[in-house]
Amino acid sequence: MNNATTTGVLSLSQLLNKVPEVTLAFWIVKIMSTTVGETGADFLAVNAGLGQGVTRAIMGALLTIALFMQLRARRYVPWIYWLTVVLVSVVGTQITDALTDGLGVSLYLSTTVFAAGLAIIFALWYRLERTLSIRTIVTRRRELFYWAAVLCTFALGTAAGDLATEALGLGFKWGAVIFGAMIVFTLIAWRIGANAVLGFWIAYILTRPFGAALGDLLTQANTYGGLGLGATWTSAIFLTVIVILVTFAQVNSGKVTPAKAIA
Amino acid sequence: MKPINTFILFITATSIIATLTLAAGCSKQSTTETKGVAPSTVTPQTSTQSGNPAPGKTLSKLGDLTAFRALAADVAAIVEKGDLAGAKTRIKDLEVAWDSAEAGLKPRAADDWHVVDKAIDKALSALRAAAPNASDCRQTMADLLKTIDSMSSRS
Repeated sequence: MNNATTTGVLSLSQLLNKVPEVTLAFWIVKIMSTTVGETGADFLAVNAGLGQGVTRAIMGALLTIALFMQLRARRYVPWIYWLTVVLVSVVGTQITDALTDGLGVSLYLSTTVFAAGLAIIFALWYRLERTLSIRTIVTRRRELFYWAAVLCTFALGTAAGDLATEALGLGFKWGAVIFGAMIVFTLIAWRIGANAVLGFWIAYILTRPFGAALGDLLTQANTYGGLGLGATWTSAIFLTVIVILVTFAQVNSGKVTPAKAIA
Repeated sequence: MKPINTFILFITATSIIATLTLAAGCSKQSTTETKGVAPSTVTPQTSTQSGNPAPGKTLSKLGDLTAFRALAADVAAIVEKGDLAGAKTRIKDLEVAWDSAEAGLKPRAADDWHVVDKAIDKALSALRAAAPNASDCRQTMADLLKTIDSMSSRS
């Protein structure tokens, strides 16, 4: 039995943090899961012929199950966490698409509403917890705030990214360059002392349209300026990378190094 | 992993991605040349079929829609034969082709893209109705072809 008392320097709360360390692998998986989530949902809706309605119901149900497992887990379990992120990515995208295509809500309005929604989530989170730290997701309430914020960033990222495409005619090539540059800018700002939690959430929003643009760059035909890999190959490659990185994290998840836990 | 190493790795990865993107961008400039021109708000369905639009008229930037038109024409022909089930099967090829080209086509002229998208949606609903109506299917297919032609005549 490996409990808190036997691990010395580690406090109980650090042991029970339910979300991963923010590393390069974290961002790679996060970006790639956007693409895989979207092509996966597209495949079910169009290629498998289930239609948008049925696909939404399936994804909603899967997300409920994954979120339930994530909340039930007693500590950070990589495969459950990332499965939840992929499904949140899909559902967040579907919420925006349903509003835009189904209900005819303008992207300006949905972008504004999701931005306001995110601000409200953060305000409530901070008000109740006095912190927005992503390294101390140690209570049920903080975890719910965390996932609500994640869902909102995916919906916001989708709306803002689509808005850039629709209003500015920004194709995926320029989308990848511009959103990529904004991510680098955020990273530099964080390195020279900007707030880490703020930087994390800004990057979390930006990686949604960046991931979509990157996916399009690989999937789209040469005629449209893409690399012409197609959705199947792109998803296969991305999924392989995700599985490798998450497996690696899963295998290593038992071995928490003191240096990391204290940081 | 130390934060600084993560940082350097991230910068490197992002630079590679950006370079790759720029390289892909430079090899295909024609789509960006016409950027900034507002898409036409009028749909000149009565305009001539010549490739010479009147001066001052805004061009559609959707580009080459030949492949989609051919698929739509094929579906329309099957509908004409009265084989609604066959047309329903065939229109899926159009749906898949159109859907997978969205990211490439839409940024060229989002407004025009939505016009064609809506026309395809109507044709899909007509053919996929629980009890498809032959005249509805014929009408939505005719409308779809007309819509695509109105775009092509302007490009």
